[in-house]
Amino acid sequence: MEIRTTLFNEIAEKEIRNPYARAFLKAMPAAIAARRKTVMGSFPDPDAAQACGQAIRAEVVAWLPELLEEFEKNALARGAKILWARDAGEANEMVLAIAKERNVTYVTKGKSMVTEEIGLNDALAESGIEPFETDLGEFIAQQLKRPPFHIVGPAINVPVEEVCDLFMEKAGMEKPTTDPVELGYAARLFLRDKFHHVALGVTGVNMAVAETGTIINLENEGNIRFNKSSPRTQVSIMSLEKVVPTMEDAMHLTRLLSRNCTGQAISAYVSMDSGPKKPGEIDGPEELFIIIVDNGRSEIYADSVAREALRCIRCGGCLNICPVYAKIGGYPYGWAYSGPMGQVLTPLLLGLDRTQDLYRACTLCGSCREVCPAGVDHPSMFLYYRSKDVEEDRGLRGKKRPWKESRFFDLWSRAVTHSALWNLGFRLARPLVNRYSHSGVITRMGGYFEGWFRTRNLPAIAKETFHERWKRLRRETAPGGQNGRKGKP
Amino acid sequence: MSEEEITGRSAREDILGRLKEIPKTVVEPRPDMPPLRELSLDREQMITTFIEKLTLEEGIVYRVQDGREAIARLTEIVVGEGLQKVMVSTDDVVASLDLPAWGKEQGIAVLTPRDSGDRDSFRDAVFDEVEAGITGADYAVAESGTLVIVHDADQPRLISLAPIMHIALVSVERIVPTYERAIEELYGDTKNIPSHVTFITGPSMTADIKGKPFKGMHGPRRLMVILIG
Repeated sequence: MEIRTTLFNEIAEKEIRNPYARAFLKAMPAAIAARRKTVMGSFPDPDAAQACGQAIRAEVVAWLPELLEEFEKNALARGAKILWARDAGEANEMVLAIAKERNVTYVTKGKSMVTEEIGLNDALAESGIEPFETDLGEFIAQQLKRPPFHIVGPAINVPVEEVCDLFMEKAGMEKPTTDPVELGYAARLFLRDKFHHVALGVTGVNMAVAETGTIINLENEGNIRFNKSSPRTQVSIMSLEKVVPTMEDAMHLTRLLSRNCTGQAISAYVSMDSGPKKPGEIDGPEELFIIIVDNGRSEIYADSVAREALRCIRCGGCLNICPVYAKIGGYPYGWAYSGPMGQVLTPLLLGLDRTQDLYRACTLCGSCREVCPAGVDHPSMFLYYRSKDVEEDRGLRGKKRPWKESRFFDLWSRAVTHSALWNLGFRLARPLVNRYSHSGVITRMGGYFEGWFRTRNLPAIAKETFHERWKRLRRETAPGGQNGRKGKP
Repeated sequence: MSEEEITGRSAREDILGRLKEIPKTVVEPRPDMPPLRELSLDREQMITTFIEKLTLEEGIVYRVQDGREAIARLTEIVVGEGLQKVMVSTDDVVASLDLPAWGKEQGIAVLTPRDSGDRDSFRDAVFDEVEAGITGADYAVAESGTLVIVHDADQPRLISLAPIMHIALVSVERIVPTYERAIEELYGDTKNIPSHVTFITGPSMTADIKGKPFKGMHGPRRLMVILIG
């Protein structure tokens, strides 16, 4: 997938004017957020349930290497094959090697964020193996070559007319229609044939249970179940942090993931593999490969603040509550992960230098932190990234800001922490600033501060500031014309 | 690619090595969570909750007294839907009803996975030939109206997935309040864990085009559950 994170502002400005995207953004995220709230109410104490999920994810981050080893041991004991990939290239090579060895011409895929991250579809296509995304939204997004608009509805913003044209051209649909249900059935028929004869299925992993070596997937459509049932070979790809300690933890997280993702008590299907099929079973994979992908995470792990990003379980709850996402949709985030989740993950995976607008496009309102079932503190992460960026942190690939901006903020921080400097600065700046004032309000200013005034006004600096007035009044009212010090307790 | 590269053994050492270098942090103990409400339900309440929740997800639930009534209900469904050919699993619940014999009486073709010699012919049957899949279910979970199906040689994965209609039979003896109750029994003995377990809560669904929800995206469009007892 093409990385377009440096075009954040450009794409956002375009998307904010896109009527189709706006129509959905007005209704969908809020509707899911409302459903989420209702279904969270099925817990006797929703806050406690959420806190429990957060505690599980905190343990996962703290005990990551031990849990991975335990998962590997138990999955191997069940007959799964565990492969470790340092980066995207290695992971893709592994899938290609498995596919080529088995002479497959195509693979079917369940929706998986990590395969978007590593660009698996492109790698397969370049080697002449056709990948078919089988989640309806993902299938549309893939065929249109677009990044996911929303983690749950990757193509929910695409107009039906466009879907119709696409399905006529690429999915063998015979009669044009703009009915979403008929379009869905056309995709069903087309992909059903792929599922029927598929030799290699690829899926992501929602949870990998250390205690039993089990991998778990949640879905509504049934496409992931097909990928795990029909072909002889199954490749399931997970990033390091998908591991959880026990089956009991996985059940609690299943509740939280479903509620936060789509506002369901549980997704229509949850499927759990403990190794490949056993002898005598007529379907299910003869071989189950589980690829554990690092792709920079073990380095992020060394940073005690950044590490907390690994708590994320990709529910997308933060997208549905984010006021910025609600205006611009998923495209401006420029890669696999959108919304606050993407603003937390993408800068770590691609580097702070290539994602500068992502962690700055935030008002720090904290709604995302409030709904996060994994306990990610998004606003604090963004502040941390901003400071690391300014400091040119090497590990996180911070990039210094333009020298004028850094110089200004150096002076600013000195001024706001020293009262004498601040007062002096005010007196000096007053005539310069107030030149732009009209009836006591400054609505624009040329030069470096122009941008600040795009959405804000500044009151002119008063002829006499509160501080100055206070001083004067003290002097005038003090008995015997002394300075005001006597009045001080 | 060498064997070493394919299995990623050296990558494994690198990754785990880096993760282990980091000093351990103290993790706060888990906060207390009040037990789920479903845990205090009696059996009849669990059954009511199960039916209520699954019905909300557009599953159709029939409650019958015993096996004989289950067969009668099945006949009604098959006649009502005009089904000609079905695939049935051979798990305990379904096997006890001897559906192949019932099929002969009713004049409908009842296939079992054993009629297919291999994966390919089995796939042909479930994808293209049959109009419904009939299976047992191992548990019915009250908390969300969820069926738990344990897959093995008698319970292939595709019967409850590929045909456009899925009819599941489950005994009320198998009702549990929460997922954990089923999971404890299935995963408690680590020597004998099933290769595949599926939770099913309603028909296959999507809302990926224009947010318009509908059933039967890839899996069954209709789910019927016959609750026995």
